[in-house]
Amino acid sequence: MRKSKPSYIRKEYAWAYLFVAAPVLGFLIFGVAPLLYSAWLSFTSWDLVTPPEFVGFDNYIEVFHDEKVYKSLFNTVFMMLGIPIGMIVALLLAIMMNRPLKGISFLRTIYYLPVISPIIAVSLLWQWILNQDFGLLNQTMWSWFGIEGPNWLGDANWIKPSMILMGVWGGVGGTMVLYLAGLQSISSSYYEAAEVDGASAFQKLRLITIPLLTNIHFFVIVMGVIGAFQSFSQIYVLAGDGGPEYSAATVVFYIFENAFKYFNMGYASSVAWVLGIIIFIVTLLQFRLSKKWVYND
Amino acid sequence: MKSKLSAKLGLVMLLCFGMLLSACSSGGNGNSSATNGDTGNKGDAATNAPQEKVKISFMGHGSPQEKDIFAKLIKSYETKYPNVKVEYTSVPPAEYNQKLSTLVASGKTPDVFYVSGPQFYKFAEAGTIQNLQPFLETTELFQADNVWKQALDRYRFDGKQLGQGDLYGLPKDVGPWAMAYNKTMFTEAGLELPPAEVGKWTWDNWLDAAKKLTKDENGDGKVDIYGGANFTLEGAVWASGGDFIDYTTGKVTIDTPEFAKAMQWVADLRIKHNVSPSPEDEKAMNSYSRFVAGKVGMFPMGPWDQPGFWDLPFEWDIAAWPVNPETGKAGTWVGSMGYSVSSKSKHAQEAFNLAAFLALDKEGQKQNYELGQAVPNLIYMAKGEFVAYDKAPANRQVFLDIIEDYGHPPIEFGSKDTKWIDTMWQEAGKVWDGKMTAADWAKELQPKLQELYDKGNK
Repeated sequence: MRKSKPSYIRKEYAWAYLFVAAPVLGFLIFGVAPLLYSAWLSFTSWDLVTPPEFVGFDNYIEVFHDEKVYKSLFNTVFMMLGIPIGMIVALLLAIMMNRPLKGISFLRTIYYLPVISPIIAVSLLWQWILNQDFGLLNQTMWSWFGIEGPNWLGDANWIKPSMILMGVWGGVGGTMVLYLAGLQSISSSYYEAAEVDGASAFQKLRLITIPLLTNIHFFVIVMGVIGAFQSFSQIYVLAGDGGPEYSAATVVFYIFENAFKYFNMGYASSVAWVLGIIIFIVTLLQFRLSKKWVYND
Repeated sequence: MKSKLSAKLGLVMLLCFGMLLSACSSGGNGNSSATNGDTGNKGDAATNAPQEKVKISFMGHGSPQEKDIFAKLIKSYETKYPNVKVEYTSVPPAEYNQKLSTLVASGKTPDVFYVSGPQFYKFAEAGTIQNLQPFLETTELFQADNVWKQALDRYRFDGKQLGQGDLYGLPKDVGPWAMAYNKTMFTEAGLELPPAEVGKWTWDNWLDAAKKLTKDENGDGKVDIYGGANFTLEGAVWASGGDFIDYTTGKVTIDTPEFAKAMQWVADLRIKHNVSPSPEDEKAMNSYSRFVAGKVGMFPMGPWDQPGFWDLPFEWDIAAWPVNPETGKAGTWVGSMGYSVSSKSKHAQEAFNLAAFLALDKEGQKQNYELGQAVPNLIYMAKGEFVAYDKAPANRQVFLDIIEDYGHPPIEFGSKDTKWIDTMWQEAGKVWDGKMTAADWAKELQPKLQELYDKGNK
């Protein structure tokens, strides 16, 4: 005869389900439902005022013919140049920070500070730094080196590098902490062995440090690419109109404009879905490729 | 134990339910039977004796000052109509359209709200807002010959186009964009003051004055004081006899020689003559702050800028816009916001009464101009006490001339979808930087804008 579970266990189960229910319900209500709704909206034309009107694949056809979709996609991908730059800087910083120096934790904190600052505040700060006439950067370049700086935020050629610069500055602290953790997990015996063999510092870096950190490289790249595809706030603050000649607009910015400036909810949804599919495919590819180069202990 | 669990669950449910309730409560309050928007309801609501308490909502935007003014105006309205309570919300201007559209989409449209331009068009067409014509006959406040036609016409809709037909809104204000100038700066530079009468001053005179006012004070090779800011492209184009679009045919008309010439002239102010701040300089310090700081000689202002200018340490006044010497015409724009009433309002009569009170009541209009917010909507008041009012600017007549004579509605008036206009401004940078001539630019851009306009508006 099977005994049923004792009552205290059943009670615990009930509690467990209750606690699990909260996030699951939250996900269903605030995650899945809007997702499905936007999927449906992407086949309609809706301006929030009149009821949605079913238009079939019109929105998707339009997406593929929309110059601005390509432009904003190009801008978004271009700004991903910040990812490798950020990785290199972060790795170098992590190596420097990975020493038992006095006050090192203070320095680590300083580098981490931008990561926890609200992106709107960071953007406003950089708006001040990058101003052509009064900005800190151009003023400094002028008074120290006599170089007349470019019109960072007002020139179609310079606004993307400006965004990359700001992105690197803002993100490097987080990546640095990841690398720091990775560095500390590398056993010192590898380095000792290499030293016995007479390896130079650069050889140690190239042959031991970098390969043993591949799982962190992978994580940083995947998260960086996803994050870059979704970047919005800094554009909204620094280039509220999409920047000169629309050269700073990202895809999410374009979605925002369509949805909340022109109130083309249907079209915005279809662009959002196209972006979602792109992110999905790119991430999938990265995981596939990772088998070729990511080293796991 | 079990009962405890269900008690807790109950509590959670209760909380959720409470949240739902509070979300709904702003929708429909109370009973609507007595004054349900039957438009045949004759006579002013004030005289319609025993009435139940009614609550209506009103949403607008504006500066904190403006909010205070409206709070006062609403108090007066509530005194006049003691059975009505107004729930007033003021939203930051940048978020206003977004918030309004979301409220409309979720069926919680405020009873009375600001609306203008593209949104007004959309709402009128979709039936979101009431036709106010039947109500107008019920109020003694409205006398068509005493309200600026130029303001009223913005809120007419005939079922297809704006500008004619019945009224779907009442003007909150008329905003003639006038040319303010720093009188002290002009006198110190030994310059003749720009006249208040249109036609006596040309673009050449303006540029001349601007050149003399532009200064590099500390000798670092960069201009510190600019002669003039924001010579608007719109004004220049209209003064030249060109336009951006012909709304009757739906043709974008930026590819005309008049347009190219006007745009080039504006661009040259920065590129060739360096008498105006560049868009980037604008970002660092906007023209308004520049004018207030005495760093720019001439600056276009709206009537709502007055209170901010009343405490300035220098003297200022407004002048007529300079005319294009070739056409002898001037151009600028007249902005306007309107009050509309939701077609779903349960208290349409009260809502209309509020809109009419805010737009047309003598006392309210008087308060509004005395506080420096607007030119009165009532023509007799504008031409009488407003012009004679003893606060700066002295040449108040200029505001009225602009309304009556050479002010145009902004470009977006008449477009439901403004993507084409935004695209135009985004691309205009090429001309402002001098990378392209205005003529080449306009020729290249016209088909693109035409396509965008057709897509969004037809």
